[in-house]
Amino acid sequence: MTTNPDQTKPTAPPIAITAAKEPSTLDVSVGPQHPGSGHLRMLMRVDGDYIVSVDPDIGYVHRGCEKIAEYRTAVSNIPHLERPCIIDAIHLNWGYVLPIEELQGIVVPPRGQYISTIAAEMNRIMSHLYWLAINAGVFSGHTTIFMYAFGDRDLFIELAEMLTGARLTYSFLPPGGPRRDLPAEFQDRLLKLLDYFERRLVEYDRIFFSNPLVIARAKGIGTLKRDEAIKLGMTGPVLRGSGVKYDVRKVEPYGAYADLDFEIPVFEEGDSYARFLVRFEEMKQSIKIIRQALEKMPKGPIARKAPLIIPEGEAIGRVESSRGELTYMVKGDNSDKPSRVKIMNGSFRSLIALPYLIRNVHVADMPIIYGSLDYWPVEADR
Amino acid sequence: MSQETLQDFAGVWIGKISEVVRAITGSGPIKFMINWSRMYALWPVHITTACCSAEFGAMMGPRLDPERFGLQAVAGGLRQCDLIIVEGTVTKKMAKRLKIVYEQMAKPRYVVAMGDCACSGGLFHDSYSIVNDVHKLFPVDVYIPGCPPRPEALLSAIVKLREKIRREEVFA
Amino acid sequence: MATQSPTREEDLVNKLKARFPDAIKDSKIEGKHRITIHFDKDKLLEIARYMRDELGFDHVKGVAGVDDPTHKKIEVLYFTGSFSRPEIEDLIVVLQAELPRDNPTIASAVSVWESTHFHERETFEMFGVKFEGHPDLRKLLTLDNWEGPPPMLKDIKFPEMGQR
Repeated sequence: MTTNPDQTKPTAPPIAITAAKEPSTLDVSVGPQHPGSGHLRMLMRVDGDYIVSVDPDIGYVHRGCEKIAEYRTAVSNIPHLERPCIIDAIHLNWGYVLPIEELQGIVVPPRGQYISTIAAEMNRIMSHLYWLAINAGVFSGHTTIFMYAFGDRDLFIELAEMLTGARLTYSFLPPGGPRRDLPAEFQDRLLKLLDYFERRLVEYDRIFFSNPLVIARAKGIGTLKRDEAIKLGMTGPVLRGSGVKYDVRKVEPYGAYADLDFEIPVFEEGDSYARFLVRFEEMKQSIKIIRQALEKMPKGPIARKAPLIIPEGEAIGRVESSRGELTYMVKGDNSDKPSRVKIMNGSFRSLIALPYLIRNVHVADMPIIYGSLDYWPVEADR
Repeated sequence: MSQETLQDFAGVWIGKISEVVRAITGSGPIKFMINWSRMYALWPVHITTACCSAEFGAMMGPRLDPERFGLQAVAGGLRQCDLIIVEGTVTKKMAKRLKIVYEQMAKPRYVVAMGDCACSGGLFHDSYSIVNDVHKLFPVDVYIPGCPPRPEALLSAIVKLREKIRREEVFA
Repeated sequence: MATQSPTREEDLVNKLKARFPDAIKDSKIEGKHRITIHFDKDKLLEIARYMRDELGFDHVKGVAGVDDPTHKKIEVLYFTGSFSRPEIEDLIVVLQAELPRDNPTIASAVSVWESTHFHERETFEMFGVKFEGHPDLRKLLTLDNWEGPPPMLKDIKFPEMGQR
C-alpha cells in the first residue's frame, strides 16, 4: 500500500489529473451507468483500495441551456431554465426573474413575495428529501430511508400540484409575480402536513441521522476545512457544513425573507456527516419559515403586469437554492429575447470539491463524499 | 459414410429436432410459462439520462410500488437486466454510452422511451448537443409522452409492456 | 458644502483606482450590492492578487464569456465575492475584461483564485478563450470528440436552432 491510510492531504496542488501513472495503479471508470444514478463519470485512479485521484468527466446532460436562452423570449425561457434542477424548480425560476424584474423596474407586491417564499421553502424541503433518499440513502446502501423520504416527498408534491398545477415543473413565477393565488383549502392542508412532517423528522433522526452505521461511514470522511471551503468557492450546505455562516437569504434578502425569523444552521467539522446535518436542520428551519409566512401573509394583489421587452442593460440576481447560491446574469438589448443568460449554480461550484476531497480515501468512501456534496449533474451541466 | 455425408446427415437431423423443440416450446403452456416469467421479472438498468429520472424515482417509491410487478432496481450487472428506461434528453455524449449499455444487455431486452425528450426531442429539440430520435439508436417498445410524465403514466407503460411480452413469440 | 463620506462601494473603487491608475478603465456602481469594474486584461493577476489579499474577495462565483460580434470583442467577466469579511459579504464585484475576438487570450486566474478552475475550462470550450497558465485546459461539457466551433459564439448559428 503506497498511499497514506489516514486522511492527511498532500500539499501539492490537488488538480494534477494528468500526472504520470505509477505501475501499481489502475484507472477505473465509474461511468455514467453506475448503481447510484447516472449522468456523472469519474475516472478514478485506484491503488489497491485507495483512490489516488479522481477526474470528473461531466457533460452527459449538457443541453445547451445558455445558448437556447438566446433563442427564446424572456418568458418562454422559464420552462427550459427550470429543468436543470427539476426537483428545485422554483429557485431556478426565481433566480432568473430577479434580474429581469430589476431591469424592467418592477416590484412584486408583498403578497406575491410571500407566496413565492412559501413555494420556495416547500421546494427546499422536497429537494432535501430527494437528496436524503438518493444521495444520502441509496448511495450509502440505506434503501429504507429512500422509501420513507419518497413517501413523504409525494405528499409535498401533491400540495405543490394544488398550488401550481404541476408536480415538478411549476413555471410558477413569470416576471412580475406568481401566477396564481393560494387555493381555498391550501393553508389548512399545508399546516396539517407540516405537523405530520415534524413528527416524521424525529423518525428520520432515529433511522438515519443517529444510525451508528451512518455515523461510522460519514463521520470524519471528506473533511473540508473552513479556509479550503472559502478558497474553493463552495456554496450552500457544503459551505455551511465547514463553518462559514453564509446564506443569501440573510446576506441579500429577497422575497419575504427580510420579515421572517429563522436561523442558518452551521456546523464546524466540515466532514460528510456535518453536511448531512446541515440539510437536516435546514428542513426544520423551512417548516418554521412556512408557518410564519402563512401567518403573516398580507392581503392585496399578487403580481404586477410586466412588459415583454427586456430593456438594455445587465443585471445580476441571486437566490439560495437547495444546493447553494444560484446566481443569474441576464443581459438585455431592448428586445424580447435576452442577449446573454449566464447561470452559476451551486452544483457546478461544488464540482471542484470532487477531485479535491476524493483523494487518499477508500473506494467505499467515494459514494459518501459524492452524496454529501449533493452534486446534481443535470444542474451542473445545464 | 464419408465425412461430408455424415455432417449433412447430422445437420438435417439437428435441424429437424430443433424444429420440433421450437414447435413445442413456442406455443401452448411452455410459451405461456416463458413469457410469464419474463414479464414478472423486468429489471431495469440503473441508468438515468436526464430530468425525468425524478419521476422514475417517484415511481419506484412506496406510493406506486412497482416491485409487485417484478420491477426491481437491483444494482447488479448489466447482463441480468432486461429493461432500459431512457428517461429524458439523450445528449450526443450520452447516446454513445446508452448504445454500449444496450448492447451489453442479454436478450430479450426492452426499451421504454420516457418523456417528450426521449420520444422526439421535446423542449430542447433544437439544441446542438442532443439526439432527437432515440429510436435510431435502438428499437423502442413503449413511448410515454409527458414533461415529465406522471409516475402513474410510467407504471401504465410498464403494464402495457408486460402485455406486449405476454403475447410475443418466444424465439423472435 | 462638506462632501459626504464615500459609500463602501465608492471606497472600494477609489482604492482600486489609486492602486492601478492605468489598468482600471471604467467602473459602475449599481444599487447597493453590485460593482462592475472594467480593467485591462494584461493586469489580471495583479488586480486579482490585490483584491484577494487586501480587499478580501476570496472566491469567484463564476466566469462568464459574453460575445459581442458588432464590436469585435469577447468580454470575460469574473464574479467575485467575499465569504470571510462580513462587511463586504453581500457585494458582487464583476471584473470585466475585453479580449479581441480573433485571438482571445488572457492569463489564468487559477493561481490566485482556485475556484475558477472549472469555470475557465467551460469558458475555453464555449467561447474559445485561451487561459494561459491553466493547469488542465481541455473540454469539459460537450461531446468528447466535438470538433465543431465554440458553441456559444453569436455567429455560430446551428441550423436547427430557433425553429419555433
